[in-house]
Formats: sequence, C-alpha cells, structure tokens
Amino acid sequence: MIRNYFKTAWRNLWKNKLYSGINIFGLAVGLAACLLIGVYISHELSYDKFNRNAYRIVRVTMEYEKAGTVNAVATTGTKVGPQFKRTFPPVEEYVRTYIRQNIIKHDEKIFDEPRILYADAPFFKVFSFHLAEGDPATALDASDKIVITRSMAKKYFGNEDALGKTLTMGGKDFRISAICEDVPQNSQLKFDFVTPFLNLGNNVKDETWWTANWITYLLLRDHNSISQLQQQVNDYMKSTAVRKDAGVEGNNYLSYHLEPLTRVHLYSSLPGFEPNGSIRNIYIFSLIALLILIIACANYTNLATAQSAGRTAEIGMRKVMGASKKQVFIQFISESLIITLFAGALAIIISITLTPYFNNITGTQFSVSAFLKPLPIAALIIFSILTSFFAGFYPALLLSGTEVIGVLKKGFSFTGGKNLLRKTLIIAQFSISAILIIFTIIILQQMNFMKTKDLGYNKDHIVVLPIGGKMLSDFQALKDAFSQVRGVESVTASYETPEYVQWGDGISVTDEKGKHDISLNAMPVDLDFIKTLQMKLIAGRDFQQSDFAMMDTSNDYQNYHQPYLINETLAKKIGWTPEQAIGQAIEKGATGPVVGVIKDFNFSSLHDPVGPLLIFLNRDYSRDFMLRINGNDVPQTLSRLEMVWKQRITDRPFHYHFLDEDYNKLYQAEQRSSSLLSVAAMLAIILACLGLFGLAAFTTVQRTKEIGIRKVLGAHAGSITLLVSKNFLALVVIAIAIAIPLAWVIGNKWLQDFAYRINISWWVFLAAGAAALLIAFLTVSFHSIKAAMANPVKSLRTE
Amino acid sequence: MLELKGIYKWVNTGNHRTFLLKDVDLTVKEGEFISIMGPSGSGKSTLLNVIGMLDEFNEGEYNFLNESVHKLKEKQRSALYKQYIGFVFQAYHLIDELTVYENIETPLIYQNIKSSDRKAMVADILDRFQIVGKKDLFPTQLSGGQQQLVGIARALIANPKLLLADEPTGNLNSKQGEEIMNLFKQLNHEGMTIIQVTHSEKNAAYGSHIINLLDGMIQNN
Repeated sequence: MIRNYFKTAWRNLWKNKLYSGINIFGLAVGLAACLLIGVYISHELSYDKFNRNAYRIVRVTMEYEKAGTVNAVATTGTKVGPQFKRTFPPVEEYVRTYIRQNIIKHDEKIFDEPRILYADAPFFKVFSFHLAEGDPATALDASDKIVITRSMAKKYFGNEDALGKTLTMGGKDFRISAICEDVPQNSQLKFDFVTPFLNLGNNVKDETWWTANWITYLLLRDHNSISQLQQQVNDYMKSTAVRKDAGVEGNNYLSYHLEPLTRVHLYSSLPGFEPNGSIRNIYIFSLIALLILIIACANYTNLATAQSAGRTAEIGMRKVMGASKKQVFIQFISESLIITLFAGALAIIISITLTPYFNNITGTQFSVSAFLKPLPIAALIIFSILTSFFAGFYPALLLSGTEVIGVLKKGFSFTGGKNLLRKTLIIAQFSISAILIIFTIIILQQMNFMKTKDLGYNKDHIVVLPIGGKMLSDFQALKDAFSQVRGVESVTASYETPEYVQWGDGISVTDEKGKHDISLNAMPVDLDFIKTLQMKLIAGRDFQQSDFAMMDTSNDYQNYHQPYLINETLAKKIGWTPEQAIGQAIEKGATGPVVGVIKDFNFSSLHDPVGPLLIFLNRDYSRDFMLRINGNDVPQTLSRLEMVWKQRITDRPFHYHFLDEDYNKLYQAEQRSSSLLSVAAMLAIILACLGLFGLAAFTTVQRTKEIGIRKVLGAHAGSITLLVSKNFLALVVIAIAIAIPLAWVIGNKWLQDFAYRINISWWVFLAAGAAALLIAFLTVSFHSIKAAMANPVKSLRTE
Repeated sequence: MLELKGIYKWVNTGNHRTFLLKDVDLTVKEGEFISIMGPSGSGKSTLLNVIGMLDEFNEGEYNFLNESVHKLKEKQRSALYKQYIGFVFQAYHLIDELTVYENIETPLIYQNIKSSDRKAMVADILDRFQIVGKKDLFPTQLSGGQQQLVGIARALIANPKLLLADEPTGNLNSKQGEEIMNLFKQLNHEGMTIIQVTHSEKNAAYGSHIINLLDGMIQNN
C-alpha cells in the first residue's frame, strides 16, 4: 500500500515540475539553514564538555569595588589558586593559566607563536587534553619543559620524533616533554604550546591577590559542592584577616565567583582567552533558521492546497473505490514526506557547498565531515519528517475530507473558505521577510556608522608593529630608523592601541574640598602620540622631549614628576574647564601637571560611552609601535619597513597589522550577526517570492477563462495585469504594515546596546517596504503579464 | 436486493425548496438489469448516487441487502458500498498517475488484500477483458473505449454484487458503446445486478427494466 502511495506521489511530483521544484528547493534551503545552524549550535553547546572533569571544573572570576567603581574581570591574582586549595577542602587542584605570544625557534625555523599557554603542573590532570606521547603527570614538572601539539611538532620537526628535542623560546632552551593532540575547536583554552606557569617570570613567583592577569581554574572533588564552596569563599573574603591581607578598606570589597566551566562560553559576561559566545545569539540563530523553514513550509502548504482543486477528482474516485479518509490522509502525508526527504538530501549538498561561507560568517571552522556524521544526518531525517507533517498536515486534512460526491459533479473546486489560511500564510511570510530586511538595513547602517564615525582620532593608515624581545632597550634607535623610512609620516608607541584601552587605574586630585579618588582608564604612551593619531588638543600641548626631564629617577625618585594628558570627560568629571586644567596637579603614584586636554576619543567599543581617560608619558611600557604612513603605495612602504626591521631585529619575524583592522575586530560579533541576517533576509524574501510565484502561476491558470472573456470584452493588458496582481499585492502591503512597527521595536532594542547609535529614519521602512512590494510585484507580474498578453481565443477554446 | 421507499431529496435556495428526488419507490431484485432514463436534470444521476450511497437523501427509507442504509453511519455505509457496489462513470475517472494495472489494483489495496492475491485477481480480469497488453500504459495513452473497459474492470475487480453505471457510453462512439453494452449484457447473464443511467433508448433496451424519471419523480414502472 505504501509503495502505491509513493508511486502516485512520485508521478504527481514529476507531472507538476514547477511546483515540486519550488517546494523541494524551498524546503531544502530551509532545512539547510537548520542543518548549518544546528551544527553550529551543537558546537557552541558542546563547548568544553569534552573534558572528563568538565562538571567539576570552575573558573574563578574576580569582582571588586574601588573608588566607588565596581569592576568584574575573568582574571585573578596569583594567590587565588593556591590559597583556595589550602583553605577549602572541596578544592582538589588549581591551575593558573595565561596565554601569550612569544618567538619560538628551532634551527633555522623561527616563528612568532601567538598561542603559548602557561599553566600550573596539574593542567593535564585537570583538563582532558590527550597526550599522544609523554606522561601527563610529569609533563610540566620542571621549568625547562614544554608540551607541544601534534601540528607544532610537524611544523618544527617534520616527520622526526619531537619528544625530548629542544626548542628555543625567548632565547631560552626548552625540552619537549610531551606531544599533545591538537586542541579541539570547542575548547575555551586554545594553545599550541604549554609550559609551566612560573616561567612567566618574577612577577608571578609571589602570591598576591592583585595584579590580576591570570585565569584560575579549580578542580573540585565533587561537582555538587560549587554553591557550598561559593558560600565559603564569600565568607572568607569578608573576614577581617583576608581583607587586611588584600588591602581592602572601608566600603571597598573583593570577592570571587565560581563559574562552572561548561557555562563559561555561553553564559559568562566576562571574556577569557577568547570572546565568549552568547546564549542570546544561539536563540536568535535558532529563531532565524526556524523562520526560514516556516516560510518554506508555508510555501508547501499554500501550493498543495492550491493544487488540491485539480486533484478532487482523483480523491473522489479513490474514495468511491473504497479508500477511507485515513488512507487518503496517509497518501498525501506520504507525498509531503517524499518532497521533504528529497529536500533533506538536497539540504546536505547545499550545506556542504556553503560550508566555507558559513564558516566565514560565524567565524567557525567546520569541515564538510561535520555534516556527514550520523548525528546530524539522523537529526536532519527526523527534522525532515517533522517538517513534512507540519507542511503537509493541512493539505492532507483538507484533501482527505473531500466529499465523494465532488467527483461526480462537474466544475467542482475548492473555492470555499476564502483561502483564509493561504492569505494568512502569505502575510506571515512577507512580514517575516520585511522584518528581516528592515532589521538588516538598520544593522548595516549602524555598522557603517561605526566604521565611519569620527572617533576623535584617525585610525586609517596606521601600521602597528608589536614590540618584544630586546626592542625596548633599543627603542629610540628603532623609532628613528622607522621614522626615516620613506612613506612614514610619524611614529609613536603605547601600551595599548587606542581602539580598545583596558588598563584600569585610579588617580587622586586635591582641591579646596579635599582629596578625591577617581577611577579611570589610563594609557602610557610615547612622544608624538597625539600627532601620529591625529587627535585634537583643546587646550595645552602634546608631550615633548623636555618632559622627560621632569621624570627624574635619580635620588630614589625624590624629584620624579609625571606629565599628564587628560580627556575632556576627565576634566569635566574633576570640574575643570579645559583651560583651567592646564598646570593642575594629578596624583597617580607620582604627582605631575596636566600639560594638555584632548577632545574625547572612543577608546572602547561604541557600546559604551567615553569615560575618563588619563594619558601619561612612559615609553617603557610600550608594547606596540604605531606608524602613520601616507596612503600612496602602502605595499612599498611596508616592504621598506620590513627591510629596516630585518637589519635591526634578528630575533623576531617582521609582523604588522593595521589599526583599522583591529578596530573592525571589535565589532566582529555585530559583523557576524549582520552577515547572517543579511543572508537570512535574502533567503526569506527569495523563498516567499518563490511561493508567490507558484501561487500566481496557479491562479493565473485557474483564471485563464475569465481573463479570456475580459479581453474579448475589451480589457487591455494593463488592467488585466493589475487584476491578477492586486490580490497578492494587497496581502504584501498588509504584511509590510504589520512588519514596520515590529521591526521598529526590534531595531531600537538592538540599538539600545550602543552608546553611539544611529536614529532609525523613516526612509528605511519606506525603502524596505517598497523593495518588498516591487519584488513581489515583479514575481507576480511575470505570470499576469503572460496571461494578459495571451490570445483570448486560445484560452477560451481550451475550456 | 435493494428497496427505496418514499425517498425525498431537496436543496434549499433562498426561501425556495427545489426537489431533486420526490417520493421515489424502487425495488431491485438480484440479477436485474435496470436502465434509468429521463431528460437532463430529471434526477437520474442523483438517484444513482443515492443508490450507490455516495449521496445522502433527506427523507425516506433505503434497505440494501437487509441493512437499513438510512440508519447507518457514514463509516458503515462506506464499508457497505466498498464491499458490494462497483461504479462506472461517463468520464471513466481513471487516475491519470496510475497505469492500467495499478488503476485496477487500487480498490483491492483499499480492501487490504494481500499483494500475491491482488496480482492473481488483476491478472485474471486483465485476461478476461483482453487488455493484458495494455496493463503498463497510462490512461491518457488509451482510447475512450479502452479507458471505459479499464473503468469497468476496476469496478468489477472486488467482486461486487451491484454494478452502477452513470452514462457509461456517453463519451464513446457508437461502436465502442455497443461493445460496452454487450459486455454489460454478458455480465448480467453471469448474474451481476446492474443499474445504468442512460440517454439512449437503444442502450436502455439492453436492460430488463426501464425506469423513467421526470423532475425527480418516477413516471411509470
């Protein structure tokens, strides 16, 4: 019996190639979207769960209040791990970690390696990174040991056995104690090398609560003890002895939170070694995939019910021959099942084809094999079956309910019910499409706004050269050498690049009312900072060579003064006008005068308003040279820079990036969302139009006779085109009217997250609405014009 | 075999009631071959559909093989006609997507008959109607006469006791029509009860009994 159903279904599909094609393609796109996003979501949800101890590991984050400001960071001081292990019995083990870049060398091979993990010895006991060679217990038990991944072993040693060989890092020799399998994509710790934590240098030898630069993980004896331990930690940190030990006074506090490892990636607001995912995005992505699938399902439902008129004879006859309602229902569900299974197969092909683009959008690195595993395939099949029921249920119900007598009466067709469902579905499809289009335009506008916003400095044509090794001791000579390269206009250096300043600090200012503490961001910079970045001074001057004279280190810093630049916001916060600020004293360790006030510039994401910023002259902290080059012939200038670099710096490869690229990276998440939404909006409108195209084809055929009669009566082509199109276009207009307020609300909600944002202008709605309407009109008019141009004699004769 | 007593069927249009069938009494015995005649709109097809249980009636009694059809629920009715009645239509109503073989097989599928038995039964009837060579063709590849032959084969496949034919030769030329009527006559000889609706006096003469219908009423018997 089933075979018979499938046979009929197959032949029916073949007979109605246009509709079948639309249905299969539409459902395939919907299913492909679900598959791709499903694989992505399951990847995100699987984060860190490969660790056998995943549910016993917690990340310790720090929250503290100082000078009236509460800060929360994922990093902690060196003392947290060891002290917690000593104090709290539930803590079995601790691992302090840090990932940084360093130069690694073996014979002729020398690379700047960005992913070197420094970790305490129990690292391989706490986390489940599999060692292919070597013993996890002893892999990190001596300061000259280093563990490398399989890829790195291949990179440096080719096919030789790397175990026991020597690598040079930062001029020091290390023995390879183990070979680790490459780190899985779904790990929050991603590294190529692991070496003992204490190799970070003298500043980590002492245990301190502060200088929080390290991420601490704890392995608990029992995963149920987290909340109990949290309570113990809270009490402990409030005790007088600990507060005194940590130097916490008055209303200030210091506390630690335990985050279960498996919740860090999706639920934590504090980024660790890599930006976190977000559970909100997971929901948004799922919703988008579902919306696209719903649009495709609506196409199926609509086309199937529209076609049903042509099949009443068949159904009636089947019933006369003894088919029960149930049997007819099963027959039509089988048809939709066949279509969705085809669509499912096509979805796999589409997904594989689109994998590179998808990786690009989401910033993941899925390979084709990610889709060919049993789990995604099984999920896809189950999903296809569910979809087939969802899409085929109503048509099957409608058709199986056909009155037998229908077959015996001529001219019977489904005109009853006013096609309310069909209209509703079309409206829903176009509402979804219009919302996605409008929302996408808003996001793109905001992205464009952020890219082109006047940040208060000029981020274009700034080359960033990271400083390392012996470069700092050679600072002035290098600076001079870079300055003299043709094409370089000006050179400066700083601890952080200006697009994202994280250095948090505190100052005090004394006025007639007494001493005020202010917490702010700070950046140590070299001379020419203002000039190179083209910032605007409102009052005073930039740092100059003679300022170094103030910084008198002789006599044990007795006469040391630090010159400062402040931003407008800081001046305002203290209560100075820019002009008043010049010459005032600020105390931050050393006291010194304000020499200049600069116009506010955005030194953080545009999500946040500009806060107070202190810029102080100190080139010893410099981590990056920043070079302003002229825009003519950038490659030439870069290759000249490389030549100069190679002459002077032998222990580091030439490595550069552009400041505007760094800036754009700040908005990677938004960039990804906007790319994904653009694609989704495009798919939605294409699928909705595809459905409309099929329906228009269908109704035009249905109305051939009517159109023929009208033409004979003298109607011209234009009025007939309008006649056929207007019903559809009315639905699209209603859909747009529904979409506009919803999109306005969603768009504004999204924009709320930005301190600097665009205003949604009315023309966005107008443009999106007009575009949707135009596309819909073109879709429909293809058929209606064809019908209007047809010879009426022909259409009347065929009746 | 079946008995209609005081059957009324009407439709309401506005305040007006139009009668499709009016006080129809009819008894059909097993082995009869009845022809229903009458002008267009006289209610011939409606009567046939009522007999075939495809259409309902508003008033009256209908007994079929000792069952009171007017008291049955839809499910029971359809089980009844599924088992005992075969239908033949003017427009053949073959399913375009199925081959000759599959069209004939379909009623058996709905009666949950085993695949091997179905094969034997279909082969048998193909043979009897001499259309074995056409079994893999689709309806559109056949002439009207051949299509109607398939339609009759399909109506007979499940061994019904009653064959209902609604102008079975209406779309055929006279030669094809004659062949079909001869087939009916032969079937009747073999014991099949047949009720046909027809316009043609000539075709009506094949039957043992003619009923004339006018405005939903039987004129003579």
